[in-house]
Parts: sequence; C-alpha cells; structure tokens
Amino acid sequence: MSESTAAPAAPPRAGRRKPGTPAAAARRREDATDRLGRLAVELSRFYGGKIETVPKVPVRSLHDFSLWYSPGVAAVSRALHQDPDLSFELTGRWNTVAIVTDGSRVLGLGDIGPVAALPVMEGKALLFKFLGGVNAVPVPIRVASPDQLMSTVEAMAPAFGGINLEDIASPKCFGILEELSKRLEIPVWHDDQLGTAAATVAGLLNALALTHRTVRECRTVLLGAGAANLATARLLLALGHDPHRLSLVDREGILHAERDDVDELMLRNPWKYRLALKTNGGGRAGDLAAAVDGADVLVAASTPTPGAVRPEHVRAMAREPIVFALANPDPEIWPEAARAAGAAIVATGRSDFPNQVNNSLVFPAVFRGVLDARARSIPDEIVLAAARELAHGAERRGLTAHHLLPTMEEPEVFPEVAAAVGDAAVRLGIARHRLSHDEFLERATTLMGRSARLVRALARAGLTSPMPRASATRRRGA
Amino acid sequence: MTPDEPAAGDGAAVPAPAAPIHLRPARVPDVPTIVPLLLRLKRLNEEFDPLLKVRDDAEAQAAQVLRQQIADPKAVVLAAEGIGPDIGKVVGFVRAVVRERPFYAPEYEGVILDIYLLPLYRRRGVGEFLLREVSDALKAKGAGIVTAEFPAQNEIAGRFYAKRGFRPITEIHARSL
Repeated sequence: MSESTAAPAAPPRAGRRKPGTPAAAARRREDATDRLGRLAVELSRFYGGKIETVPKVPVRSLHDFSLWYSPGVAAVSRALHQDPDLSFELTGRWNTVAIVTDGSRVLGLGDIGPVAALPVMEGKALLFKFLGGVNAVPVPIRVASPDQLMSTVEAMAPAFGGINLEDIASPKCFGILEELSKRLEIPVWHDDQLGTAAATVAGLLNALALTHRTVRECRTVLLGAGAANLATARLLLALGHDPHRLSLVDREGILHAERDDVDELMLRNPWKYRLALKTNGGGRAGDLAAAVDGADVLVAASTPTPGAVRPEHVRAMAREPIVFALANPDPEIWPEAARAAGAAIVATGRSDFPNQVNNSLVFPAVFRGVLDARARSIPDEIVLAAARELAHGAERRGLTAHHLLPTMEEPEVFPEVAAAVGDAAVRLGIARHRLSHDEFLERATTLMGRSARLVRALARAGLTSPMPRASATRRRGA
Repeated sequence: MTPDEPAAGDGAAVPAPAAPIHLRPARVPDVPTIVPLLLRLKRLNEEFDPLLKVRDDAEAQAAQVLRQQIADPKAVVLAAEGIGPDIGKVVGFVRAVVRERPFYAPEYEGVILDIYLLPLYRRRGVGEFLLREVSDALKAKGAGIVTAEFPAQNEIAGRFYAKRGFRPITEIHARSL
C-alpha cells in the first residue's frame, strides 16, 4: 500500500476523534482527505517539488573541480574501468536507488501514466532519504511493454545500487520483479508486493502471538489476490503456514483449482494459478462468507470497496479473530465495526487508527540493510528477516492489541531491521560486504539519523523555506 | 514469464504417470462429465483468438459430438478417472480422430483434437501418459502419423508437443469474412 505514508501528515489520532454516526465520521474523513489534497497541491507549487540533489563534498573554490571533475576524475574512471565493483566505493552508487514506475497502478488512482506518477515517486524518494538515509531518484518511464520496462531498467542499472519498483500493475509486476532479480546483480524490490507483505506478516506474527496461536496451525483467509496478498501468501507459506488452511478470495470468490477461470489464470497470472492449485484444502467454494467460516485470520488487501468485509463475516470467524483491513483510504471494514463484531485484533493501512500496516516501516530499513551489505538480491528470507525484526521491535515496547507494530514514531526500530537484513544477507551468502551485526547496526543508525539532522540543518540555515501556514496557502490558492 | 505447462512431465521416458489415473475408453454415460471439461478447454482457446469464440450452443454441441465420436470406430475418446478422493470422477479426457490423407503418405493421420486435465493432475506426467496412450490407440486404428491441433498462440501446448518430438507441418491461417 504505497498510499500509506509516514505519520506526520496524519489526520487527528483515533483517541481524539469526535463521536458521531458512522456516516458523519465518513464525511469527516472525506473532508480531511480533501483538505490534505488541496494543501498538497499548494505546497507542491510553493516548493516546486520535494527533493533536490545536494553536494556531499566541500567546494573551497572552483579549483576543487579539478579533483571532483576533470582532470582528476579521469583517474577514478580508469579505476572503475579496471574494476567496476569499485563504483560502490568511489561513487555514490552504494547508496543510490532508482524508484522505477510505468505509472500503471498508482495508489488507488489506476493507470495514470508516468508523468502523473512523478509526485508520488518524489514523495517516495523523500521517505527513502528521511527514513532510510538512501538517495533515491524518481524514474517514471514511458514504456509499451514489460519487456521494454525491463530492458530500460537493465540499461540504467550501472548508476544504481538498487532498484525499487513502484506502482506497477498486477500481475505484470510479478514477472518483472522475478526477471529483473535474475538479470541484475543489485537488489530489486517491488514495494507494493514485498513492503506491504512484510509489514502484514510482521503484524500477523504478533497478532498470533498475542492470541496464543502460531502460523503453522492457524487458518487464514486473504481477501484480494493482487500484488500485496499474493506476496503475503508466499511469505506465509514460507513460514510454514499449511497451504490447505489458507484460502484466497477475489472478485470471483474463493480461489481453487477447479474454478472456471483457472486455465485463464495459468496463462495470464501463473503466480495466482500456482496458489489456486496449492491452497484451499478441503475444496471450499463460494464467496468470502464461505471462506471465513471458522478462520483465525482475515487479511483484506483488496481494491477499495467499502463494506467488502461485513460484521457477519467477522462473527463467523474462530474465537478471537484477527482482522487486517488494509485497503486505502477506506478499509474494507472500519475498526470499530470489526471490533463490535468480535474482532480481537484489528489493523488497517491508516495512520489515524492503531496498528497501521505501513510499508514505510519496511522499505527504508530493507534498503539500508541490503545497500550496506551490498547484497546481490533480496530473496524472501531477507523479507522475512525484516518482518521478524519488525515484530520484535513492537514487542520491545510492549505488545498489545493496539500496538502490534512499531509506529513511525519509534525510529529506534528501523536500524535494528536494517541490521537484521544485513545479517540475513551475510548468512545467505549474497553480501559483498560481510559486516558484523554491530557494524550493520552502527552504520544504519548513523546513516538513518543523518537525514533528520540534514533536514533540520537545512531549515535552520534558511535553505529550505519554512512551511507556509495552511491558511496562507489556501488564500493564495483561492 | 513461464506459465505452468498443462500436462507435461519432465522426463520423456516416464513409464507411468506419477499421479496415477485410470485411463479407459469413454462411454456414453461419461458424456455429461466430459462436456464441462471440453468446454473449459474451448474457453481457454477463446483466450488466444477472437476467431475461436465459443458458441452459445457449445454445450449441446459438445454432448452431441462426444456421443457420436464415442460410437465412431474412426475416433478415440478416452476418459481419465481420478484416484483417492477423486476416485470414479473424470478428471481429464482425450479426443482424437483418424483422418485420411488422400495425397500424402502415410495414408492415415491420427489427429489429437483435445487433451484436457484438471489443474491438480497437471505437471505430474499424466499428460505424457495420455499422449502415449492416445497415440497407441490411433496407431491401432491405422494411423501412420499423429498430429495435434491447438490455437497458434498457445505456446504452452506448442512446447508440450515440441518436447515430445512434434513439429509444425501445416499452418491454418484465418481471417474474418
């Protein structure tokens, strides 16, 4: 869910929401979203974008350019020509990633194309820098096919230490991620799959622990079979979830091996097809109601359809049901309704409710970790290492039904996740930099902390303008 | 992107399918259970080309054609029964006919028109087994070569047959009128 961003821009927190009818609450939420949207347009105009490049070396006088540029730089180029791996030491490649999108599935907006995707990618780049200390370059590209996308990414890989794929439509995103991971020697990540899935799995691990259950024995229903849930299914199976006790449900109902569209899936979406063959033991058929009967866990990550999950669905689940309703901006069921129907633990994708399943908890730390380890790829073991460490992070502050996952205000967790990722890369033998846990942790703490200092220093020096008052920008906009 | 093959085992010399099925000639009482499988296959074909659009009356047609061919000595219709919980259930079928070749030798060709297996029986060598059995049955009816018809865009089927020594010999090109 790339639409879920960091907390600072969040609407008022749950505790302070005024009581009222659900309709009034929905209206308030809509008003808040509209207000934020207007403000975002004004501020984008005011600042002319959200990121810029900043030198990282001193420039005492123009003479220094004989070092930073010609003629001195030629020696650096010669060295890289001899040994391309030196590009990770003599240039900023070690800490630079490309945020690549074709704009084919941007937020909940759909296929709006690469240009319209740019503000989202800029925001992502800001998150990368602010949370992960990673230099991220927005690269929305206009391409006609997955093949063209892949060859374009392949062509630009020499400039980058990693690739973050973003907002690419399902199911083509699966093949693109798989194929690029094979072709490139640098880590490739698709946040809409892996970021959301890792945060979901982290939350589930803690929710199951809180209710004294385990992944191996629970029965889980995933509503929605898009990028996030197909990745979540894969990760759950990797954690030992019994495939027979896992059911996926989409618009056509429960996914199973004899569903009418299964041959079409074989052609168009082999990832979903494979899960159709593997999951849903006992041959349940029908809709969500048939799937959730007796289930321990429901993870809804669907195309936003308010009311997709109804109270009776929750009531039909097993004792102490766990409900993750992750659609943005409107969850498939509102937390108060889910709890009223008996849900023991509820999570959403929103920052104004407890338990936000937020990919911003994951991707900055994962990239910090793989970049510091100079990992060659990001296998699922690394994703799971990040999820487990995120779950531990919440545990350290005390696990409750309202604190399943760390919030964005618990930044001490992120370097720990980065270090766990680095450790996993070393363990898996895909790290070019085999640092110790403490070295990974120290590096991540330094680099992740530096960005906040940088932002403060730029503001103090007057190099970034203070945020204009909301009322002032509204007046100017009017 | 490499979707799963519909019915392909890996080795060419698998003596018996890894997922045992019971293969036998189809009988008229099987027709109602084979029809949905045949329609699944035709609907899959529809995905490849609009000129393979399935007719509204395809279900009735399928039943009629199957009944005819089950009785036709020049046709082979085999039913694959499942095992375990699927015992007695038809989980796949093969349909083929023997066609005369007036100008070419060998004189008779066995044409595989349909091979369909439910997804859970795929990738376990069953398709391989079905292909071998139908080839034997066609040979017994006098066919000197065996051919297979499938949509030109169906690369999965193309790979399945290519792996087993088939090559394209005739192309059928089409356009609307």
